[in-house]
Amino acid sequence: MKIIKISILASLLFLFMGTTEATAQKADRDNYTVMVDGLGCPFCAYGLEKKFKELKGVKGVKIDMETGQFDFTFPADRPLSIEQVESQVDAAGYTAVKTSIKRADGTVLKSEEKLKTLDENALVTEEIYVFGNCGMCKARIHKAGNELESVASVNWDIDTKMLTVMYDSSKTTISEIEEKMAEVGHDTKNEKSASDVYEALPGCCQYERSN
Amino acid sequence: MRNRKIYKYTLVLLLFIAFVSNNAMGQGPPITADKPIMLSEGTFIAKTLTEYRSTDFGDFTRVPFMLHYIFNKNALVAVHLPFVTYDFAPGFGVDGSGFGDMNVLLKYQFYRKDKTGKTFRVIAKSLQNLPTGEKLDIHDMATGFYKGYYAIVAGYETIKYGISGEVGFNHSPEDDTDELKINLGFGLPLLKPVYPVNQINLYFEYSYVRATEIGADMLLYAQGIQYARKRVTVETAIQIPLYQTNLHHGNRKYSLLFGARYII
Repeated sequence: MKIIKISILASLLFLFMGTTEATAQKADRDNYTVMVDGLGCPFCAYGLEKKFKELKGVKGVKIDMETGQFDFTFPADRPLSIEQVESQVDAAGYTAVKTSIKRADGTVLKSEEKLKTLDENALVTEEIYVFGNCGMCKARIHKAGNELESVASVNWDIDTKMLTVMYDSSKTTISEIEEKMAEVGHDTKNEKSASDVYEALPGCCQYERSN
Repeated sequence: MRNRKIYKYTLVLLLFIAFVSNNAMGQGPPITADKPIMLSEGTFIAKTLTEYRSTDFGDFTRVPFMLHYIFNKNALVAVHLPFVTYDFAPGFGVDGSGFGDMNVLLKYQFYRKDKTGKTFRVIAKSLQNLPTGEKLDIHDMATGFYKGYYAIVAGYETIKYGISGEVGFNHSPEDDTDELKINLGFGLPLLKPVYPVNQINLYFEYSYVRATEIGADMLLYAQGIQYARKRVTVETAIQIPLYQTNLHHGNRKYSLLFGARYII
């Protein structure tokens, strides 16, 4: 009985330590998101990951083949600059279109603005419903979102159609983001795309419009 | 006796499954053709592509060991060391085996246009055929002559399909077998493109060879399938002639190809 109790306590302690360590590790890492062009097949993605693995410490690699979104984390005590990240993509033989870095301390860097940071205190995350169907829609929605200077990150879920957007509320509004989506052909609950823009979308992207 | 045979086949099957599941990984280019996309700099790729070829002059097998190294994001160097076995039809030669012609390959990518999920690239390619094989006149296997092949390869690859084309000239200063070569390959992934790699690709490849000095032509069609997982690829193809005339090295009947690639 005593042995069982000790075992349970030891397991709980082990679990607690593991969780704490994982949380600490997460807090000590910067998150990088790069939109990469030229990933024509999964082997290309392998080449990209391999090149980044040369930078010892790269973890959590995720590559979405349809959108070209490449995510990874890196130790915060050895921060990579946007230039370093983009030159590493180039050395792998691909093209970095846009890079955003979320530092462990919350600072956000974006490639267009280079070292200019968004106002950390004004960053808010919201979800909006954006109409769309497929991976091509996702690429278009992400590209449109990232084109807005005050948007830190976007992520559109194909299944739920929800766009999670982090933006600097001192510089833009959620309405402006919805307008941007409509501009590229994707309706939201509050903004409708022009008919000619919607009709110019590829067949697979022409979602069913609400009345 | 029957049981021994069953055990033997079972063992071979198990070894094949083990090989496919544990090692199958790799690259996704065409099988008999070529494509311009290279992996990132500093990458080594070990490959083999065994060809069993049946012709009017006999049956030949080429088992190459190929090592490719991408030393720069735009450049690749490779060495191909083939072992060849030959079983000539009566009156055409003596059977045997040995090293075939060694190849040194260089590729340089000079054009790249990338878009989301797609890329278009063009490379210059040079393949030097060194006369390490016997003078057996087995096309592209063992000729015993120096040849220099120079080509341009272009390819458009998207996550839905891939097309590659190659035009080149094989200069053979020591014999009269200069050749114009044209390859065209189409690739079609059967599974949704995901990363890490887990792909089954179908390939449809055409190869045209015109021996310019003797006026011979050959058009071959290859149907191939490729399975790739993580860093390993295994592939197989059958190649058949669609048209051939005046071939000095005998008409082709068919070729069977089996290959594997491993990204080191």
